[in-house]
Amino acid sequence: MGFLITSLIFIVAGVIGALLARICCNRGPSGNLFHLTLVITTTVCCWMMWAIVYLAQMNPLIVPILSEG
Amino acid sequence: MKFFDNLPAMDLMRSEKMTFVQLIIPFESAHRAISYLGELGLLQFRDLNDDKSPFQRTFVNQVKRCGEMSRKLRFFKDQINKAGLLPTTRPTLQPNIDLEELEIQLSEHESELIEMNTNGEKLRQAYNELLEFKMVLQKAGGFLVSAQSHTVAQDRELEETVYLNNHHIERTSLLEQEMQPGPSNQAGLRFISGIICKSKILRFERMLFRATRGNMFFNQAPAEEYVTDPVLAEKVEKTVFVVFFSGEQARTKILKICDAFGANCYPVPEDITTQRQITREVLSRLSELEATLDAGIHHRNKALTSILSHLKKWTVMVRKEKAVYDTLNMLNFDVTKKCLVGEGWCPIFAKHQIQEVLRRATIDSNSQVGIIFHIMDAVESPPTYFKTNKFTHAFQEIVDAYGVARYQEANPSVYTVITYPFLFAVMFGDWGHGICLLLGALILIARERRLGSQKLGSFMELAVGGRYVVLLMALFSIYCGLIYNEFFSVPFRMFGETAYKCRDPSCSDARTTGLIKYRDTYPFGVDPSWRGSRSELPFLNSLKMKMSILFGVAQMNLGILLSYFNARFFRSSLDIRYQFVPQMIFFNSLFGYLALLIVIKWCTGSQADLYHVMIYMFLSPTDDLGDNQLLWAQRPLQILLLLLAVIAVPWMLFPKPLILRKIHLERFQGRTYGLLGTSEMDLDVEPDSARQRHEEFNFSEVLVHQMIHAIEFVLGAVSNTASYLRLWALSLAHSELSTVFYEKVLLLAWGFDNILIRLAGLAVFAFATAFILLMMETLSAFLHALRLHWVEFMNKFYYADGYKFRPFSFSSLADEDD
Repeated sequence: MGFLITSLIFIVAGVIGALLARICCNRGPSGNLFHLTLVITTTVCCWMMWAIVYLAQMNPLIVPILSEG
Repeated sequence: MKFFDNLPAMDLMRSEKMTFVQLIIPFESAHRAISYLGELGLLQFRDLNDDKSPFQRTFVNQVKRCGEMSRKLRFFKDQINKAGLLPTTRPTLQPNIDLEELEIQLSEHESELIEMNTNGEKLRQAYNELLEFKMVLQKAGGFLVSAQSHTVAQDRELEETVYLNNHHIERTSLLEQEMQPGPSNQAGLRFISGIICKSKILRFERMLFRATRGNMFFNQAPAEEYVTDPVLAEKVEKTVFVVFFSGEQARTKILKICDAFGANCYPVPEDITTQRQITREVLSRLSELEATLDAGIHHRNKALTSILSHLKKWTVMVRKEKAVYDTLNMLNFDVTKKCLVGEGWCPIFAKHQIQEVLRRATIDSNSQVGIIFHIMDAVESPPTYFKTNKFTHAFQEIVDAYGVARYQEANPSVYTVITYPFLFAVMFGDWGHGICLLLGALILIARERRLGSQKLGSFMELAVGGRYVVLLMALFSIYCGLIYNEFFSVPFRMFGETAYKCRDPSCSDARTTGLIKYRDTYPFGVDPSWRGSRSELPFLNSLKMKMSILFGVAQMNLGILLSYFNARFFRSSLDIRYQFVPQMIFFNSLFGYLALLIVIKWCTGSQADLYHVMIYMFLSPTDDLGDNQLLWAQRPLQILLLLLAVIAVPWMLFPKPLILRKIHLERFQGRTYGLLGTSEMDLDVEPDSARQRHEEFNFSEVLVHQMIHAIEFVLGAVSNTASYLRLWALSLAHSELSTVFYEKVLLLAWGFDNILIRLAGLAVFAFATAFILLMMETLSAFLHALRLHWVEFMNKFYYADGYKFRPFSFSSLADEDD
């Protein structure tokens, strides 16, 4: 459940980023497409990083074993 | 697919469209046209006179003159540096001067400066000699006076030399009582007085002793002032000496020895009144000379300052002129010898600008004939031109360092802008270090204007040039650091409660069996309970290795996808069907499947051993999977994927060369006459642009090339995927180093009560973090992320056999020189 909600948050953040890029630096259709590509790439990379770490911890096969002291 | 066709062309994705142009410029407007084009900076000239030596070109005299002028300017700069002058006031605005006038002015200034320098040299030499004479007079006069004051006449050969000290003149004069008074009165006993470098005095004395067989008396005293030695141009200590001897032969010998040792001899009169008179004269002349010297230096400095105020402008002007003449040398005279013909490349969007500039040049030079500018076809491939701004420039440089893109192929820097800092951050992930990097990047960006105008060392120049790269690297590092939960290796509980707790309230088996997961997963990043536990490394290693594989598969799939878009752009359906499709099938049926298994294993929490699954998929695909079953119908699926991969290999190897051969045979079967026709072209019209394309098809070459390509892909699939494990390796190293410095340096030092030990520990921690983690690890992660991009990502689609567009531009001159 938390996975889906947080993924949605990432998508929303990506959309907001794209809108901000369009508002702040509007440079014609080719430039805008470039900025959109950058925003999409960033969102995908960041989401992948988070999702991998989250999924790996969902059903762990080993647990933390505290060390001495 | 229509969707992609309807999208506008992306900014940096493919090179700007270039076109080959020809210019026909009448002679009178040539110079002006070229200099205006240089200001614009959007046309790359082709050298039409490549085969000629520099001395056979048209404008060789002008280039020589420009070279002379820049030599003079360098001479001025040298003199100004030696005189230690700095530009103080703003340069005065002067009307633009012509090149000929500048030449005349420069030669005037140069001769003036040389004259002033020689005069100054002569004056200085005379000054030095007078100074030495003064010292000799002072000291030697002292010897002679004391010698004359005694009337005891004894003719004795002195065999010992006397070493004079400034304060013990009386003692030596007692010894000199044995000496004969008025040495010049006696027949044959004369003296020579002079001055010599202090370092040579011992050898000098010994030499004299040997030469005169001991028949001499040597007195010396150190001179009080330092003298500037003209040869060494530094101040040396000198010693005044007086040699008493008898006989003419001794005299010649002594003079020769003085010469050999570089001692300067000055005649000193024995009479004390004469001495005093001469001393007064010498002193007055010395002060005169000093005044003259000062005036000379002042005059010269004034001249230099006036030159200095114009120097920069002149240097720029001469450099521009030389560049214009070099470019003019690239053009050819046409048949009528009245026009210059030039060829070059320019971007299509710049066509109107160039035409405007040429029109302005025609008007400004009052020429009757306009400049002709028209587009031609070219055989060779155009240069590649990407319009970058200060942000994308550094990333484009990184990609260009591997190879300049072929004309109009997909530019990897579109994705590199984000994936490069991101992969750096995966290896660097620590948000404390990320904040330090961010501060550094912000400082560089804040001072970019000031740093841009200075001249920096090569390392600083790289750092300033890459400031936006570092900024992105820092931002992503902070993000990855938050995910890895490391702040200088310390975890924080920022995003809620940890998901682990003891199995029972007494935590009795926390150190044996471990904690238990009782809540939902920690929402963002690695759970803080893992830090410091004994099973931390096995868990993190497994996590990071699988993460590296997933990133690798994703990036390589992106690379193969870009090759599809390239094939689509160049309308090569051959490449799509017989290269892209089998590559996609092969790669994803093996490594895409592995990525899928990883994700499923995580989602289901199964205990399946993925090594076992992958290896036995190849070794014995029909075996029952048993415990390693992750999917429904996994065994038939694996057999199917294996078959697909095996089919894909000959699919990417054989069809393409065979079909190319078929196409070539078809094209040229009925066209042999056509070939003959095209070979009789009119070569007189454009002698320098080759129009014939020599068609040749060597089947074995194409087949071998395709085989190499296929083998590289197949074997590379395994090795490149494994290569991405460096993401795991470097992030592990970073994390471990960070832990060691934190626990074994900072915490250890903090354990003591002593403030000094604590400060020392803090200092060592700071230095170790700054130099090892922030500098060395940054460079290391930078390099490895670069390698991942250059090899694993770009060899899926990037040919990189283009050449860069280098327009004739005055602004690029300023960067080149110095």
